[in-house]
Amino acid sequence: MFSTKRISGAAAALAVSLALPAFAQSYIETPMLAERVGKGGLPAVGERLPKEPLVVDLAAKGRTVGRHGGDASSLVGRARDIRYMSVHSYARLVGYTEKLELEPDILRAIDNDSDRVFTFHLRDGHRWSDGKPFTAEDFRYYWQDIANNKELSPAGIPEFLLVDGKPPRFEVVDERTLRYSWDRPNPRFLPQLAGPRDPYLYRPAHYLKQFHAKYADTARLEENAKKQKLKSWAALHNRMDDMFENSNPELPTLQGWRVANAAPATRFVFERNPYYHRVDTAGQQLPYVDRILLDVAAGGLMAAKANAGELDILFRGLNMGDIPILKEGEKAKGYRTLLWPIARGSELALYPNLNAIDPVWRALNRDARFRRALSLGIDRKTLNNALLFGLGKEGNNTIMEESPLSLPELRTRNAGYDPMQASRLLDEIGLTKRNGAGIRLLPDGRELEIIVETDGEGGLVVDGLTLITEFWREIGVKLFVKPQDRTILRNRAYSGLTIMVAAQGLDLAVPTAAMAPTELAPMMQTFYSWPKWGQHVETKGKNGEACDMPEARRLLDLYARWMSTGDNAVQAETWREMLQNHVENQWSIGTIAGAIQPVIVRNGLINVPKNALYSWEPTAMLGVYRIDEFYWDKTTGKEAANPHPLRFADSASPASGRGE
Amino acid sequence: MIRFLLRRFVTMAMTLFIISALVFFIIKLPPGDFLTNQIAELRAQGEAASAAKAEFLIKQYGLDRPVWEQYLIWIGVWPGPDGSFSGLIQGNWGWSFEYDKPVNEVVGDALWLTLLVNLAVVVFVHLVSIPIAIYSATRQYSLGDYAATFIGYIGLATPSFLLALILLFYSNRWFGISIGGLYDPVYANQPWSWGKAQSLASHLVVPTLVIGLGGTAAMIRRMRANLLDELGKQYYVTAKAKGLPARRALLKYPFRMSLNPFISDIGNLLPHLVSGSVLVSLVLSLPTVGPILLAALKTQDQFLAGFILMFVAVLTVFGMLISDLLLAWLDPRIRIGGS
Repeated sequence: MFSTKRISGAAAALAVSLALPAFAQSYIETPMLAERVGKGGLPAVGERLPKEPLVVDLAAKGRTVGRHGGDASSLVGRARDIRYMSVHSYARLVGYTEKLELEPDILRAIDNDSDRVFTFHLRDGHRWSDGKPFTAEDFRYYWQDIANNKELSPAGIPEFLLVDGKPPRFEVVDERTLRYSWDRPNPRFLPQLAGPRDPYLYRPAHYLKQFHAKYADTARLEENAKKQKLKSWAALHNRMDDMFENSNPELPTLQGWRVANAAPATRFVFERNPYYHRVDTAGQQLPYVDRILLDVAAGGLMAAKANAGELDILFRGLNMGDIPILKEGEKAKGYRTLLWPIARGSELALYPNLNAIDPVWRALNRDARFRRALSLGIDRKTLNNALLFGLGKEGNNTIMEESPLSLPELRTRNAGYDPMQASRLLDEIGLTKRNGAGIRLLPDGRELEIIVETDGEGGLVVDGLTLITEFWREIGVKLFVKPQDRTILRNRAYSGLTIMVAAQGLDLAVPTAAMAPTELAPMMQTFYSWPKWGQHVETKGKNGEACDMPEARRLLDLYARWMSTGDNAVQAETWREMLQNHVENQWSIGTIAGAIQPVIVRNGLINVPKNALYSWEPTAMLGVYRIDEFYWDKTTGKEAANPHPLRFADSASPASGRGE
Repeated sequence: MIRFLLRRFVTMAMTLFIISALVFFIIKLPPGDFLTNQIAELRAQGEAASAAKAEFLIKQYGLDRPVWEQYLIWIGVWPGPDGSFSGLIQGNWGWSFEYDKPVNEVVGDALWLTLLVNLAVVVFVHLVSIPIAIYSATRQYSLGDYAATFIGYIGLATPSFLLALILLFYSNRWFGISIGGLYDPVYANQPWSWGKAQSLASHLVVPTLVIGLGGTAAMIRRMRANLLDELGKQYYVTAKAKGLPARRALLKYPFRMSLNPFISDIGNLLPHLVSGSVLVSLVLSLPTVGPILLAALKTQDQFLAGFILMFVAVLTVFGMLISDLLLAWLDPRIRIGGS
């Protein structure tokens, strides 16, 4: 058992053990809740917090200790998008720090035995947002009564919990200790728990049991379901149990804020969770901001609303093209526009389909020289200047420099601009015949016209392809852009009808060794270079084709190696070899990366990082930057610049009157 | 009269039946449906568990059946997956997958705001265009006539979504009215109060103006042309010759005659109250039926889109009936039935 490591926030744990006795008396009551505490409607802060809360050392993170109060308003494109609050609020069993290290968050500690046996230790006295205790029972309920219930989970337990198709052994050791164990390592387990979409291995059992046929009267449940026009008790349970969607205000949560109203509404209010488990070093329970307000607004209006100073923080819904109008309103309306680099392999990548049905194209796409020639034929500097104001990074579809796995040549190898060499490579393959227009001919006499299909959703992709059409003409290759609906595109790709697809590059672009390199191995049908190989793996061999290129098979072997070890050094080495394999073989042809995500923040909102990576995974958009630590400094300009003087009248608002 | 009404009702039912079939099959034309698309999406994000949930719904709502069967289940003449008849005819309007709610709840909330916006538009159009039309008809080819015509054409020619954006921007800059929506976000979840009503009124100005402007111009032109036709007729000349005051002569006879086309327009007006102004609502982010319909069509939320379109169709059919009856009552020259 020498390999057992305990993951625990070292600094925080130390602070707790040293300062705990002093703390217990010195927690500061949250002003918003003081009245309810005074009337006896709510226990005092010391009793609401777990006995060992997560103490956040803001100074160590280069942040300042804040103060309670105020609302932060933002926008969502449609009512359903309030689900992204579950991503941003980012309270996880284990979560990434800003430096992308895993640390226990809701859990007090985890014992990890070689990625095979995971022992969770809960915090003593931790409570759900309704004040009921959060215990091992909540994990047991999920495991036995949801994941292993055929009616609630017809597809069985989630895939990341399976190793070689086998589920873990689950045991409850005591009220605050539980264990998941596999025979072979499951290195994907913890990263998945820290991901942007929490799989929620725990559910509020005390609340949900009233909807579960095992615990409640089935006839009554069915009747209730019918009343809500649902077809069974299972549908009703699933509906009440949507932890991610934030659609049920009654559902207890462990996140920093709890949704207070349900759709239909044009404004959604998230109120502070009085039982949240994080506290700052001054003894103030987080989050600092009392309420988060999400207004529904059309996507097209978001930049204009930001420009008019109508909101406090916004990122989702803004894009690079909005930067000028956002900058324009900064002074007059008192906000700032932060420019965060987006972590993505490439803004525009080309995916030659190695599984194309057309035999001629299939053979050509499978020729590494062909893919390299196409890569060398792209003038990425011009693309960068035209599409990203020259601020982007030119090169392959690969990970960003910010990742600890990054190597300098990953971005640049096989990705220069060398039309002469590209032409030589194409001649070498034997594509020497040309037609009158100077376009090369395929071996069967057809014109070498690559139809590049795209989902046409990002303007940048189509614009970029138009430029690439010009570059490729110089090496005698014709490009035809075919934008279409994403669903249709996917279905065409899955059945091998596409020759080449243009889309965004790698999603996981700042990985650490502990994150799964799934995207790099031919095991996902959504990777347009090998939809059929991906299908084959995803359906366990029922559909698709087995991977039959040795270079690509190597990626599968490497993935298996990554899966079979808990050793970080081996994992890192595996990652690097996979990345190099990609760059060498040009499975996908990257162009430019490093687009910018504008983030609007009203002046006076403190602790928002000036410059940080923005991504879905692993940063969970703003999640790892811990929005519960943002606070209003009321002395600086906020009120002066605030067009809505009503905003601070928070205690008078109707939504905050709800009892727990 | 009763026979006429009966005959009309039978044709109306037939029309609605055909419309319902068209609506449903056209919505189903693109490959896939809401849930299969959703499943593809979820799979792409590596969420096989959620995808399984969606597959469960497919069975529940019979989306795995052939299209004609789904259609018959939807209108309620075929037993659904649970074996009972439950469709439009029985008053079950279906389920919206996007909102995860029964359709009537989704539409119901947006409906009254839609009616409010479009009623304001109708009132605005009539209030503005009728006086201008009378003015420019009675003073044909005068400076005022040309000016009104010119402004009218500009109104007709300006793309409404562009105008909407410009007006939004400046009404925010000059009057501090928040951008988009029907009231300031501060009031979103508050009960009705004087402040909220004021906020609503100030937010109604831009949509009313934008949606109404095109209609106003068209109305001025039509009204002017109708009036001009009547103004040359002998009964009007006679009335004036007999010494009737100019205003009374105008309003009592030719003006009434020129209203006929508008009465027959009611048939179009009714559905317009619900489904009009989709584009502008979208740009202005108004919480009305239009954007819901568009989103439903895009995501193939079939029961929701189908219901809204059917609702509009019913309104059209009834609007036509009402306008026919009104015309018969208003204009003695019109007779119902062949005999």
